[in-house]
Amino acid sequence: MTLAIVLVVAAVIALILILRGAVSSSVQVSADATLAPQIQPIDVEAFRNLADSAEDDYLRRRLPASELRRVRRARLRALAVYVQVAARNAAVLVSVGQSALNSDDSPTAAAARELISDALQLRRNAVFALIRIYVALAWPNAGFVAAPVLDGYRHLHGSAMRLGRLQNPSIPVRISFS
Amino acid sequence: MFRAHSLLWHYLWVGPNLFLLALGWLLSKRGLHRRFPAFFAFATLGAVSELAVYLADVSPSVSPETFWYVVWFSLLVEGPLKFALIGEIFAQVFDSYTSVARLGRQLIQGLGVFLVLTAALLAAYAPMDNTLGIIAGAHLLEQAIYLVESGLLLFIFLFAGYFSLRFSRPGLGIALGLAISACVHLASWAVLANGGLPDSKRNILDFLNMATYHACVLMWFYYLLVPEKAVAKSAVPLPENNLAVWNRELERLLQQ
Repeated sequence: MTLAIVLVVAAVIALILILRGAVSSSVQVSADATLAPQIQPIDVEAFRNLADSAEDDYLRRRLPASELRRVRRARLRALAVYVQVAARNAAVLVSVGQSALNSDDSPTAAAARELISDALQLRRNAVFALIRIYVALAWPNAGFVAAPVLDGYRHLHGSAMRLGRLQNPSIPVRISFS
Repeated sequence: MFRAHSLLWHYLWVGPNLFLLALGWLLSKRGLHRRFPAFFAFATLGAVSELAVYLADVSPSVSPETFWYVVWFSLLVEGPLKFALIGEIFAQVFDSYTSVARLGRQLIQGLGVFLVLTAALLAAYAPMDNTLGIIAGAHLLEQAIYLVESGLLLFIFLFAGYFSLRFSRPGLGIALGLAISACVHLASWAVLANGGLPDSKRNILDFLNMATYHACVLMWFYYLLVPEKAVAKSAVPLPENNLAVWNRELERLLQQ
């Protein structure tokens, strides 16, 4: 009977999670207009500084071991927040891209496809980066690499701006990677 | 009312499968069977195999032993069809996005192996609810199929949710119907196969399973055949202030 109870509880939890996923997938379609304001700007310079292994080496040379561990943990926690925000922005941009995917204008649809691809890649890399950051938090001597997320975010900027320029030609976009 | 061989019992067993056959016919008439081949196969072959089990149950000339062989045959037909359908749902959601499709495929394959092993382990340790191995085995096989099916569908919903990927309308309907049916069946088969319930209480769970399946078949009708309401949908423009902020950040990055 214990086995039956465990399986019933597992089935109920699975059903709740599936229904939540299905509802949020349906709600996403109707809430498109509220998507863009959800994007949080990121201070890319600070992000880059935190992700830079040269900065880490510099601190290692200058600080005593105990101080280095404290500073390193603080930097890793800050880096984790940046990676999480970048990942959240990427999720919003996937939805923005999917809304533009069926555009009649083929350059806009192509830009939307590129934006989705870059955003998905960033979100995937963010998972691995966060795992490495948390490992480094637990074990401060471990190396961590957040550079793929930073590079991905740069690509994402380019893709988002390209799509934005195609959708809003009247807005001056000063820099793009195209 | 909740008795085997009551009018409601006959309807809930036969009705959904006839509806499913009709849905298969309508899908092929509209050319949708080419877009959802696994669902088409599931709808037609699954319904035929379920009807075969029904006929074996009501036909006086079929012995109990033959009936259970038919049940086993039906399970062995439906199991692979369901997993092919899950593969089709996965492909519909993720295959256009190469950056996550490969990772998703590796994860779902790993999860599939883990779930099969878990199901085998649970079946090995489950108390036999019947002295006849052919009956207890069929119950445990049902439980195993629904356990793996629910786990894989849960993964697809969570993985798509994490990446904010949307299902197409028919895809969402198929996945949701299959998932609801799998979870309810898993819960009730877990009780049937492990709980040692008396026959009078087993009937209620049988009715719950059949009614759920009927609701899911109607859901598939709705999502596959009723067109989506035409909503004037415009692309989401990226707000000007964000573009400006992004440009500024990017300029700072490039000027270093």
